[in-house]
Amino acid sequence: MVRGTADRVFLPTKNLLEEVGDMMILTGKTLVSAVRPPYPYGGEFVSQFMFTLRLCWMPLLVSTVAVSYGAPGLQAANFLILFGALDRLGGFFVLATIREFAPFVCAIIVAGVAGTAITADLGARKIREELDALQVLGVDPIKNLVVPRFLALMICTGLFDAFAIVFGITGGVIATLVNGAPLGPFWATFFTNADVTDLWGSVLKCTLFGAITAVVCCYKGMTASGGAEGVGRAVNQAVVITFLGVFAFNYVFTQTLLATHPEITVIR
Amino acid sequence: MTAAVASFGEIAKFCGRVLGDVYRLRVLRFFGEALRQAGILILGSTIVIWGLVFIIGLQCGIEGAYFTRAQGAPSYAGVFSAWCDLRELVPYAFGYMMSAKVGTGIVAELGSMRISDEIDALEVMGIDSVLFLCATRLLAAWIVLPFMYVAAIGAGFFASYLAVVQQIGEVSSGGFFLIFWMFQNPPDLAFSVIKAMSMATVIVLVGCYYGYHASGGPVGVGRATAKSMVANIVGVHLVGMLGTQLFWGANPRAPIGG
Repeated sequence: MVRGTADRVFLPTKNLLEEVGDMMILTGKTLVSAVRPPYPYGGEFVSQFMFTLRLCWMPLLVSTVAVSYGAPGLQAANFLILFGALDRLGGFFVLATIREFAPFVCAIIVAGVAGTAITADLGARKIREELDALQVLGVDPIKNLVVPRFLALMICTGLFDAFAIVFGITGGVIATLVNGAPLGPFWATFFTNADVTDLWGSVLKCTLFGAITAVVCCYKGMTASGGAEGVGRAVNQAVVITFLGVFAFNYVFTQTLLATHPEITVIR
Repeated sequence: MTAAVASFGEIAKFCGRVLGDVYRLRVLRFFGEALRQAGILILGSTIVIWGLVFIIGLQCGIEGAYFTRAQGAPSYAGVFSAWCDLRELVPYAFGYMMSAKVGTGIVAELGSMRISDEIDALEVMGIDSVLFLCATRLLAAWIVLPFMYVAAIGAGFFASYLAVVQQIGEVSSGGFFLIFWMFQNPPDLAFSVIKAMSMATVIVLVGCYYGYHASGGPVGVGRATAKSMVANIVGVHLVGMLGTQLFWGANPRAPIGG
């Protein structure tokens, strides 16, 4: 009786902790086998990179323009117009787009589009027992399947950050034009406030988001089970865990960056 | 290009049928099933959605605290938190988690029903499968989500309070709340709920469409789940932008000036 209750309460926690531990182990194995020769994953890396690029660019473009036109663009412009200081919108966009919206929209798009595709792909191979067949043939699935996806997603997300920033700022430009203001003051305050620390922080954050996405999605795909519903359920869990992980990491990273680099919070 | 337009038309037709079923109250024939789906929604998704909104609230809080400190007005962190939480990021976080948890869940569930021929079995038994599977889910979402969303806003507010007052600590609790409540009013809350409910409707409909039309075995279900996520993410962002433009685009609704 007591044992049954205890099992019901603690079993989910235990399963969760086990899963997190397994993901950590997968991360470690991936990193080790990425640097240890031989390097057979070149071709797979290129094809995964192109796959991510082809799948994500259009949703990314639409989403970054929409988010930064709506959230920081319109709301902040409305607020600044009350004080007759619409030219400060450029300065606000350094905070809004470079530090916050570009990395997180990037992470959401890559997790939702490329990450789910990876989980569906690996999950299908798992339940068709292709992964077991690979192991029988003496091919290491981590080195040949996980490592190229991990590297491709990580590098691709980091590079997508630049696109997200460019199109995010386009959203700000549209918001300025909609309010009938000239663009000169926008760019002036933008470039005086922009800081190299912000930029590398943003790119580093985005790259790590990509790494989290890749590990979670590969893990969920490779452990998919349970017949017809299994792959769908694996995709569902993968994207939920990725979102929670990415946002929790975002909070810790941003707080650390802001606290350790006080110069980037100064308005110039 | 033609294929994209054609599939968009298919989705629109399907959504129109589901919405019509709910609007003409035909769905009440299966009200019990709708309540069961509502129960599943409450037990399965509430905690995750609140969790994500809570984390976003913390994020809004620290960005607001650092930004207003840089402006030399740390006591006005409440303005940033109020607008960031209520108007923008809580709806987005809600939409993201809805599409991740509920949307893909519906695709996986309906897709596996489709490929194991359960939906055809329903039709053979003389039950309208769109009505029984999709319209009930939409009705369940409309019953549960407004309440869940308002509570999620509460979680976001609480997180911002923790971040600004307890963690950064440059404004007193009273000073924070004075500004915080001054910069929002009931219509803002109503607009925010409308925005989130539009997102939820899009997500449930997209999930039902991709699940109902899944094909190609277990692999096909996984692929349909992944594809629904693309549509959901773009949909959430577009609804968010249109909502902002519609509700706050022409009028900042701030207690400043004339």
